Amino acid sequence: MILGNYIAAACVFGLGLYTVLSRRNLIKIVMGLSLMESSTYLLLISLAYRRGSTAPVLSTPQSGQTAGSLARGNVADPVIQNFCLTAIVIGVGVTAVFLSVAVRVAQHYRTLDSDKMRALRG
Amino acid sequence: MIWVSTREARTSPSGRSGAIRAGRPGGEHSPEPEALHRPALAGLLAVGMAICLVVALVGLPREDAHLPAVARQALEVAVPRWHITEPVNEVVYGTRGFDTFGETFLLLAAVVSVMTLTRRRESRHADGEEHGEERAGRREQEELDPPAPADADQAQARVAERNEEPGGGRSDEERTYPDDERLGAPSPERAEAMSVVTRTAARVAAPLLAVGGVYLAAEGYAPGGGFPAGAVILGVILMLWAGFGHERMGRSIQQRPLEALELAGALAIVGIEVLGLVIKGSVSANWLPLAKSPTTIFSGGVIQAFSGSEVIEVATGLTLAVFSLLAMRHDWTPDEADSGQGAGRDGGGGGAVGRDGGDADRDEGRGPGEDG
Repeated sequence: MILGNYIAAACVFGLGLYTVLSRRNLIKIVMGLSLMESSTYLLLISLAYRRGSTAPVLSTPQSGQTAGSLARGNVADPVIQNFCLTAIVIGVGVTAVFLSVAVRVAQHYRTLDSDKMRALRG
Repeated sequence: MIWVSTREARTSPSGRSGAIRAGRPGGEHSPEPEALHRPALAGLLAVGMAICLVVALVGLPREDAHLPAVARQALEVAVPRWHITEPVNEVVYGTRGFDTFGETFLLLAAVVSVMTLTRRRESRHADGEEHGEERAGRREQEELDPPAPADADQAQARVAERNEEPGGGRSDEERTYPDDERLGAPSPERAEAMSVVTRTAARVAAPLLAVGGVYLAAEGYAPGGGFPAGAVILGVILMLWAGFGHERMGRSIQQRPLEALELAGALAIVGIEVLGLVIKGSVSANWLPLAKSPTTIFSGGVIQAFSGSEVIEVATGLTLAVFSLLAMRHDWTPDEADSGQGAGRDGGGGGAVGRDGGDADRDEGRGPGEDG
């Protein structure tokens, strides 16, 4: 039941959104964003899945099959797996930038509480 | 800081609550009750969003749907057109090569942003003169955030941090590494590196894992896999960092050559894509001869070249970004010796971030030129 994965992805996204909206600690907000990113990975990989399919690799066809027949057979969707790879790389970049901003904010305001970062300082 | 004083006045007559709150970055354990509107509103919005998503996702194709035409196309052209047996790599570096091209430069932009954000504070006193904004802000800064003397904790943290710096605090003759120590000596174990067991294991595992990472890119099922290979190489470097400590790895991870290598990888990717445009008339078209067999290291043509450049770009870029974060010093706010306002009262209330922050700040302030 791949529908379970879709619903789980929506729930994880909601959990991440809740974290981002309700927490005030910047590190927790970054964690919430990572949770939202992870939910998209789950969704994309679940979208690529087909019942009984093999991985989209054509190198070792079973006996009686060629790479061509394997390609026309039951395989997972390679395009959506590529999207997931892209999403992971972008997620890493975004998390790295947010974390360095969080460290700088902590050094500047001496707190990670987003509620306390309103005063101009320095 | 302003908010401390206003909060103290508003929330706690004793004036202590504000200081305690300041020391707790999260604020969860503060004596002041947490406002309820935040979780309630956030919960409402998150649940609403999740319901919308579920409604949308239920309509998506499931596991018994036919593959979309674009996926079929990718599967069918992989072997005949690109001589490569892994359609995902064909999509990443071939059919959707332009997308990967953009993604590469997004990663490069993220690395540049991290390095810009984490760079050391530069001295403003190079010409021996203060800048106007510094002079103008000093009086107000001292009023709001008066300097406080460093206590024992702060002094200890300052020394520890300086010792972690590559070459910081000690000269070459003074420096000893845990590897130089005799095994079983009664001296206390220092925390700058892990135990001899971990260090030996890291030494044995690192070359094997590094070869595994390069193999992912070079061969694997088929050529391709530059992103995972780059991530594996970063993993090896981080393993060594965890085993041997920041001081030793920081000496090996030099920013300048890595930057040059990363930009060389990016330049190679630009070259590969542009040559496709020049020679074949479309970006990311294959202009290299293809190997006959789809399972050799030379199959895939431009895919292999793209993926190889991607390994360099991803491995060096991620290493630069991670080591910039790891090497961040607490050098933001004050940079002067005489007016070093440091952590002040707010940071002194507790909280690791705040306390450590103040130490090194004043530490840095002693010699404005030493950062450069």
